[in-house]
Amino acid sequence: MRKALSLEFYKLRRKYVLPMALLFLTVELVWALIAVSMSFERNRDSAGWEVIVAMLSTMNGLFLPLLSAIVVSRICDMEHKGNTWRLLRSMAVQPGKLYAAKYACAGLIMLGVCLCQVLAIAVFGVQSGYLTSVPLVLLARFLFGTLVTTLVVLALQQWISTVVKNQAFALCLGMLGGFLGMVGDLFPEAARRVFVWAYYTGLSPVTQQYASEKMQFVVREAGPISSAAAVLLAVAALLFLMGRRHASRLEG
Amino acid sequence: METILSTTKLSKRYGDALRVKEVNLSVREGEIYGFLGPNGAGKSTTLKMLLGLVRPTSGQVQVFGKELQANRRFVLSQIGSLIESPSYYGHLTGLENMRVVQKLRAVPAKNIEEALKIVRLEKQKEKQVEKYSLGMKQRLGIAMALLAFPKLLILDEPTNGLDPAGIGEIRELIKALPQQYGMTILLSSHLLSEIDQIATSVGIINHGHMLFQGKLSELHKKKQPRIIIKTTDNRAARDVLMRAGFFPGVEEGALVFEKLADGQVAQANRSLLAEHIDVLRIEEQKRSLEDMFLKLTGGGESL
Repeated sequence: MRKALSLEFYKLRRKYVLPMALLFLTVELVWALIAVSMSFERNRDSAGWEVIVAMLSTMNGLFLPLLSAIVVSRICDMEHKGNTWRLLRSMAVQPGKLYAAKYACAGLIMLGVCLCQVLAIAVFGVQSGYLTSVPLVLLARFLFGTLVTTLVVLALQQWISTVVKNQAFALCLGMLGGFLGMVGDLFPEAARRVFVWAYYTGLSPVTQQYASEKMQFVVREAGPISSAAAVLLAVAALLFLMGRRHASRLEG
Repeated sequence: METILSTTKLSKRYGDALRVKEVNLSVREGEIYGFLGPNGAGKSTTLKMLLGLVRPTSGQVQVFGKELQANRRFVLSQIGSLIESPSYYGHLTGLENMRVVQKLRAVPAKNIEEALKIVRLEKQKEKQVEKYSLGMKQRLGIAMALLAFPKLLILDEPTNGLDPAGIGEIRELIKALPQQYGMTILLSSHLLSEIDQIATSVGIINHGHMLFQGKLSELHKKKQPRIIIKTTDNRAARDVLMRAGFFPGVEEGALVFEKLADGQVAQANRSLLAEHIDVLRIEEQKRSLEDMFLKLTGGGESL
């Protein structure tokens, strides 16, 4: 598996996946952190780590489904373009193993993106002058929720990108995911539960509440979020297994 | 020579269409087996089944004496292949593509240089493959197939899209492989001339049916000349000859005999003259291998 994974990274040469992911992340961070800075300046009393985490969770709903779709599409499309699925299978490469290596490759890239986000939040918070000690638990919970949601989105995107050659379809799904991730909280709860992209805010450790016509940022309890995360991980595993089975059955 | 690859009643159905029908293919060690058939005859589907890329509807594939499905990993580790168009990572260089295959095949890195040298691509190895010409991509595909110096090499239309010089070069390369590296080659083509120049054995397939299988020399033996007799009244002449024990066919205003010895030609001539039918022409028509191929495949297919 390690060999298959290192080969996936080797094959990504000149695909510019990492620079593109960093560019996406930079745009998101600049947007989110400028908005947070402005908020802190307007209302110094409300300055807190929770505001940054809530802002990034909302922004992730828009950016990460798109970025996940692009990363997975780049990883899968290189096999479609040169008919290399056939080449690999004629060399007895197990389709299931290859599928898992691609998922792990996309997962590691997105893990890097999420870690960069957490690091950026910590640096920004300390540099802003309003905040002091870094809340490690809160950031770990934010990282966990973001990663779990991303794993589900990656599993779905990989299934589509593998079985449908035309990557426009997978990218459209990514765009739809970004839209639903951004506005998911406006839907009724039953609908929100179905939209996997809405869990960037759904699994966020911070939520927004209105009290006395004022918006407050409240840290959620870990229990309910952990249950939802467990269900979501099961969904990710199911989507991955179904996609892998589908890919293994493809003839060529 | 030992049989290295064989199929037993190999069939493939796609929906209602039976693309490959009970094909019994047999390739012996060290030979260059030409798998010949018109476009859409079922060649690529058969080759894909030999590599486990397509599941047969029925039938069996045995390679190196082992059943393919049960020994897929072992069998495929001994086969190099190029099916239909060459497969490659266009954004990687030729050398990087070879490295991917080398790591997957777990063969020494020195094989890369050797394989690139064989296909004369060593000077282009640092170039991205998407910038290669079709001929160079085809050669890279062959280099990838050769990388592990396999016992069996399966090449599906390897000269497709090449210019005449490239075709000649690939042909010479394929011919040299069995002697230089002890490889057995299974080569498909829709070009009879190509197979005639390279292969030692041939299998002819059309509409999924194997029509002929054997040594190319056997096929050459079958191309006996035809005798054509033209008279002033072909209908009456035919009746006379039928009564005399001949069974001619009628083609383009002439009587055609598939097999006729010299004595029989003289006798047929005498019979016609005895009935006062003027014989305008008696000619021997030699047949090419292409005529044989057209006859076997029904003649209506593109070559």
